[in-house]
Amino acid sequence: MTEQHAQPHERRILGTELLWAFGVSVLIAAILSMVVFTALTRDINPPSNVERIDPKTLHLSGEFAEQNLGTTVTRDGGITVRIITTQFMFAPRCLVVPEGRRVTLRFATPDVIHGILITGTNVNTMVVPGFVAQVYSEFTHSGDLLMPCHEYCGLGHSEMWATVRVVPESEFKPDPDGRVACAQR
Amino acid sequence: MPTDQPSAADDPLEVVDQVDEAALAEVMRVVPLGAGVLAGATVALLVIGYLAIYLLVFLPRGTVG
Repeated sequence: MTEQHAQPHERRILGTELLWAFGVSVLIAAILSMVVFTALTRDINPPSNVERIDPKTLHLSGEFAEQNLGTTVTRDGGITVRIITTQFMFAPRCLVVPEGRRVTLRFATPDVIHGILITGTNVNTMVVPGFVAQVYSEFTHSGDLLMPCHEYCGLGHSEMWATVRVVPESEFKPDPDGRVACAQR
Repeated sequence: MPTDQPSAADDPLEVVDQVDEAALAEVMRVVPLGAGVLAGATVALLVIGYLAIYLLVFLPRGTVG
């Protein structure tokens, strides 16, 4: 390519590349600003609970012992669901939560890393051995939602899923101990 | 194909560049515009899709953390 042809075209291409780089920089800055803005003003953050638990003994006593799993309504009306995620099942496999109320979901695992999401909601977190994963949500529609494991955890991973049953407030009736389970309904 | 005949493809350095410099310059004059339109439209669609999901699906679902 001769000098007289190359110079103007190369300059034009360089100008186009710089214009493109500027446009992409503006886009990235705008998207990052939007994420930071919503984090600061609307408290939209990734799950960040840091709470330790011994994975070897969590099923023997304490919060994640068998009798404490599932949905519990406390005296002050708070709703907490405790779930163990383990190869290759959730315990319990079905959860009942009311529509339109804030629910706290707490997960722990005795074996490997799992991940959960609930379809149609923003609930999405890793469950790491040694830590309690905690998320909040308010379910806006009644019906059954799928809660699969979304972090490959072994050969049975694809069989690891649970049901989140969202019921109208009028049908959410805790027993005298404050427990609600799918089997009661 | 006879194997005792050398081929120009045996040594790329000896392949004669047959590109017409004037024609190349003519093509290069318009290529960045077309590439820019294609890349711009692609990125615009991607960003519109991202914004639609972020603003219309993710934010209304609310915080979980």
